[in-house]
Amino acid sequence: MRIMRLFALALGALLLVGGLGAGGALGEGPRFPSLGPLPPVPVPADNPMSAAKVELGKLLFWDARLSGDVSSPCVVCHDPKQGWGTGTAISRGYPGTEHWRNSQTVLNAAYYAKLFWAGEVTSLESQADAAAGGNVAGNGDAMMMEERLRQVPEYVKRFKEVFGVERPTNGTAWMAIAAFERTLVSKPEHVPFDRYARGDQSALSTEAKRGLALFQGKAGCAQCHNGPLVSDDSYHNVGVPTNPIFEHSPLHQITLRYQHVIRGVPEKLYRSADRDLGLYYTTKQEADKGKFRTPSLRELKYTAPYMHNGVFNTLEEVIEFYNRGGGDDPNKSPLLKPLGLSDREKKELLAFLLSLSSDQPLIIEPPELPDYAAMK
Amino acid sequence: MRRALTTCFMAMGLLGVASLAWGQALQPLPPPPAQKPAEVELGKYLFFDPRLSGDGGVSCESCHDPAKGWGDGQALSTGYPGSEYFRNAQTLLNAAYYRRNYWDGRMAGSDLPTLVRDHLTEAHFMQVDGRLFVERLKQVPEYEEMFKRAFGGEPAFGRTLNAISAFVKTLASRNAPIDRHLKGDGVALSAEAREGLGLFQGKAGCAQCHNGPLLSDQKFHALGVPENPDVFANPLRHLTFRRFFRTLGAPNAENYREDPGLYGVTKEKGGWGKFRTPSLREVSRTAPYMHNGVLATLEDVVAFYDRGGGQHRNKSPLLKPLGLSLTEKRALVEFLKSLAGDPVIVERPELPDYKPRQLGKN
Repeated sequence: MRIMRLFALALGALLLVGGLGAGGALGEGPRFPSLGPLPPVPVPADNPMSAAKVELGKLLFWDARLSGDVSSPCVVCHDPKQGWGTGTAISRGYPGTEHWRNSQTVLNAAYYAKLFWAGEVTSLESQADAAAGGNVAGNGDAMMMEERLRQVPEYVKRFKEVFGVERPTNGTAWMAIAAFERTLVSKPEHVPFDRYARGDQSALSTEAKRGLALFQGKAGCAQCHNGPLVSDDSYHNVGVPTNPIFEHSPLHQITLRYQHVIRGVPEKLYRSADRDLGLYYTTKQEADKGKFRTPSLRELKYTAPYMHNGVFNTLEEVIEFYNRGGGDDPNKSPLLKPLGLSDREKKELLAFLLSLSSDQPLIIEPPELPDYAAMK
Repeated sequence: MRRALTTCFMAMGLLGVASLAWGQALQPLPPPPAQKPAEVELGKYLFFDPRLSGDGGVSCESCHDPAKGWGDGQALSTGYPGSEYFRNAQTLLNAAYYRRNYWDGRMAGSDLPTLVRDHLTEAHFMQVDGRLFVERLKQVPEYEEMFKRAFGGEPAFGRTLNAISAFVKTLASRNAPIDRHLKGDGVALSAEAREGLGLFQGKAGCAQCHNGPLLSDQKFHALGVPENPDVFANPLRHLTFRRFFRTLGAPNAENYREDPGLYGVTKEKGGWGKFRTPSLREVSRTAPYMHNGVLATLEDVVAFYDRGGGQHRNKSPLLKPLGLSLTEKRALVEFLKSLAGDPVIVERPELPDYKPRQLGKN
């Protein structure tokens, strides 16, 4: 079944690349999954979608009771008006802390195989759990959050309707939030590139079409940014410079060391910790130091600043960075080389990147949250 | 044995009471064990420092305020933001003398650092991750210096608990009129207070449970203290209450409509509604009273016992209506006031700030 689907995808990819006329730029044929509109959102078999579940998930996404001191609901770091991130280089931390990484957009997160910058979790459900409980994010105590939900009659009613449970549980809360997040996806009809890929030649400017060719050709972006998500969902070290805020901000320094402690690095490494080691924290493999999961490039227009530590404020800076062949790092990917792009080519690339975003940002207004009530 | 007997006779002689019907005699509070000054000094700073809480907003002082008898002056303690606690914050004065701590005795008094740990990390108190606050302390050069002085090394989890414990151990009653009286000072107590003492040990029966140097038998009794309705009417308290009993593994906590007290710890029916006898030292500074703060004044407490306590299926047989006269009640309150020593005042120190460190030199 899976093989069949892969085959179908590959076939589709071949057709699409052909259709986009980009295959030629890469010689024989596509060396990577083709770009194209996103398929229907994947839904895990054990968490089917329903309108009531999505509605419940939306309430919970905004509900600060799913955090330690009721200050930090999902939405404070994933604000619709900030591209479902924070709009800052480093995400907002739980009060008394600063975070250490850029808050990624929730848009299209449903398509990743793994979540967080270094792929620490495997589903939207487990991401919600980890974020609500993480000490520099939500800092929620599991049982306290669960008892809070049980103190809200409207939630008791809705959880029963949606999940058939007598009282709300955290596990089902994360399922509802994940279902809501599976609705936060780019719609092909709203994305210029997707309209183009579906055959509307006028959807992209000439400049953007040239940018697409560069993206898949000379600039080499599509080596990692490929497939409908425009991400290979894999890990690479591109030598992103460190964010200077860690050199002088006490709260950021605290969190950086703290992450080394809780992720269990050898003490020697803790003593010298001066940067985010990415995938290394999970694998403890030297070769994984500084590797991060390739982010999707969809909806980029709304999700500045860029990179795992937000060091680049604009897409122009990002293009300059790759034009230089990326940064300096002993583990840097061999895929990165100086590109020698002309100013015109850089502009073309930028025009293409912007065509991967929806015409209008996806905004959802805050819902009205149900109140606590005394139990009978 | 011989020493106990001698003490007993001495007490009888000093007090001039015919017999000691119950438990240990009242005794002066022995001085607290000496602590290392550098640990106490560090512990004092940490006691006042909200960086030992999850969101940096709650310190030990928040619920144990020196200006409020080292409690919080409220019937029910506040708790971490987003929760509200369901019992009264007890004074820290003489807390280090208990064999068991908390109203339900769930922690061993022999290990004060673990009691401190419970306060720092529990979700209803300060909800901090122990690894996080250590990194916070390392970000404060003055703390690095103070830890070095106190422990010969860098800020660490256990050292933090030990320092706060050392500080708490210094918070003891000193020079209370009752102690001067017990040591033979004939004018330490007023005539009225002396009459109260007689009632305390006689007709009123208080000393059945409130005895020994701490004026507590350190045992558990059900008195039928009325429930504080706010525990169940206030959603924030009720959810905090349920979560707490779930963490203890007490069954069916969602159905409780009274505080099960010791039962939550032991899960033995006989423990239902029992709480550990609190010390009466400093009691005039620590209103309101009882595990849920339902009695606002010492007069209320005396009236409660005069009625023979409240209603409870596990109520102690030691409680019976006392038939105290108005004068006797007043004398008893006067005696209770003699249990307060010199005020233990500690000024909040100016807390040192975070400073940047050299990145990579940790």
